[in-house]
Amino acid sequence: MLVIDALLQGILIGLLFALVALGLTVIFGVMDIVNFAHGEFLMLGMYAVYWTNYFLNIDPLLALPVSAALGAVLGLASYYWLIRYLLRGPAIAQLFGTFGLMLFLQYLAMFLFSADYRMIDKGVLVGKSYSIGPFIFEGTKLAAGILSLISFAVVYYFLYKTKTGKALQATAINKEAATYMGIKTDRMNALAWVIGGGTVGIAGGLLINFYYAYPMVGILFVMIAFACVALGGFGSIKGVFYAGILVGILEMMFPVFGQLIGSDFLGPHFKFTVVYLAYFIIVVVRPQGLFGWKN
Amino acid sequence: MEKLKDALDFSDFSKTERICFIIFTIFLLVFPWLGVGSFVKTVMIQFMLFSLFGMGWNTIGGYGGQVELGKAQYVGIGAYTVALMMVWWKVPFWISMPIGILIALGYSFIIGYPLFRLKGHYFAIATICTSLVLKDIFDNWNLVGAAKGIELPIHEHPDFLYMQFKSDTYYYYFIMGLFYIAIFYMNWFRKSKLGYQLRMIKDDEDAAESLGIDIRWCKIKAYSIASAFVAVGGGFMAVYNLYIDPASVMELSLSIKIALMAMLGGAASLWGPIIGAAFLVPLDRFLGSWLGGHKGLTGIDFMIYAMLIMIVSAYQPKGIWGIIEQFRKRGR
Repeated sequence: MLVIDALLQGILIGLLFALVALGLTVIFGVMDIVNFAHGEFLMLGMYAVYWTNYFLNIDPLLALPVSAALGAVLGLASYYWLIRYLLRGPAIAQLFGTFGLMLFLQYLAMFLFSADYRMIDKGVLVGKSYSIGPFIFEGTKLAAGILSLISFAVVYYFLYKTKTGKALQATAINKEAATYMGIKTDRMNALAWVIGGGTVGIAGGLLINFYYAYPMVGILFVMIAFACVALGGFGSIKGVFYAGILVGILEMMFPVFGQLIGSDFLGPHFKFTVVYLAYFIIVVVRPQGLFGWKN
Repeated sequence: MEKLKDALDFSDFSKTERICFIIFTIFLLVFPWLGVGSFVKTVMIQFMLFSLFGMGWNTIGGYGGQVELGKAQYVGIGAYTVALMMVWWKVPFWISMPIGILIALGYSFIIGYPLFRLKGHYFAIATICTSLVLKDIFDNWNLVGAAKGIELPIHEHPDFLYMQFKSDTYYYYFIMGLFYIAIFYMNWFRKSKLGYQLRMIKDDEDAAESLGIDIRWCKIKAYSIASAFVAVGGGFMAVYNLYIDPASVMELSLSIKIALMAMLGGAASLWGPIIGAAFLVPLDRFLGSWLGGHKGLTGIDFMIYAMLIMIVSAYQPKGIWGIIEQFRKRGR
């Protein structure tokens, strides 16, 4: 019973992880850049919903467009003001550049919002739970899981079924060939950042419903997203979906596993350690990920 | 003997550089006697400590070109070995520090072997992961004090064996000694076989492999040299601060600082990490203490810091030393 419950909870949170990791994998696929600041986009998305809820009394779920828009603008701005210049330099400079962006946004949030932990306390679903059969779900988590799934599906549809989406895919597969076909790769790069920022903004808006926002929250989720992306294969979109769910299950199952074998040491403090370890083992043993396409 | 000669031989630097180096050395030697306050002295100690870290990072990150973001775990290993051995068995610093280095070396070989199957982004993220795993373990391991950390016993009288002094000046000269050993070592390293092999690997891995260089083994060696450097600094941190916890010696931000200083000053050059530390440590400390007095301004120092990183990586990935070189070329 405990196991099945953890499994279901894991799937719900995993859907959210998949949405967080989606932007990372799209950006990586299109331009081979790892965006360390991805977690900070999430953090700012969380704050966006928190403050709209705080000042305007808008329900957190209805404030999602705010966080999505903020994420998209952030993505676009960082592409045009930073990433374009980084692309000319060596790989090490690209890594440090996005790292700098991460630090900047972290401390900007610290400066603007202080280091306090903030959580939403008013909203339609906040504090409510629903029982389905013998299992009890928190309303916010249920909503987060379902809305993540919908957002993921929309982006997936966009990438695979629309012309612009296909152009983006083409750029990811072969940049030069795409240029010859008349695709403006610079615009595609920008689009990738808009999608990346927008999706992670939505994810942040969903996350704030049941998780604290604080300036350093990003690093934890970006590491989880890295694990998902590595597991799914860098750049793979289908892969990251399954990987997100898998990581969610892993994270929820681990404390249960510790409980089952009656160990104090393997408690919930280590649930994220497992994610880091999983990343390490995956990239070492199977660098192309479980469903990889780009090596 | 030959190696020692190489280490002390600075003849391939320009005359200006050699003169600057001598002036700098004299300055460091007389610095504690200039009547400066204890705060400034602490900043100087920090500066040399971080130069030491940066020079270590430079072997793998600068000459080897591998983006290594997990050095904090070796600071932790060095610091914890010294602290724990002193608390549990009263082992003097001079014995526990070498043991710390050995543990760091052993650990770096174990971690390095799988780690160097990876390249680029994969590698960078994996180094962060290993560091975070170790920090999580130390954060929850009651035997080593968990997140509370451990305090080192304070001796009543100054004790050379346990590196406990009343005045910071002694620590100053001790870290200065380490700092110069590191400079001479790096001066030898950049001319050594491994140094050349690493630069070859950085430029073109396939070409290096076709010349029969064992890439993975070279990287592991450089990685463990870097780890040993950092572990020495960690040991020093333990006896200097007399208190360590995972948040101060194993935090990710420490790894980033280490890599950043070398990178900002100029990776793959002898002076780079020193310039970077000379720039960032005072900025960090003075700005931090100045802003600390003004409520509501927390974070500004790091924002300036982060802006610097972004500007440097976008416009001059070779760092401050790269800019100096550029000017010198133009002057010629």
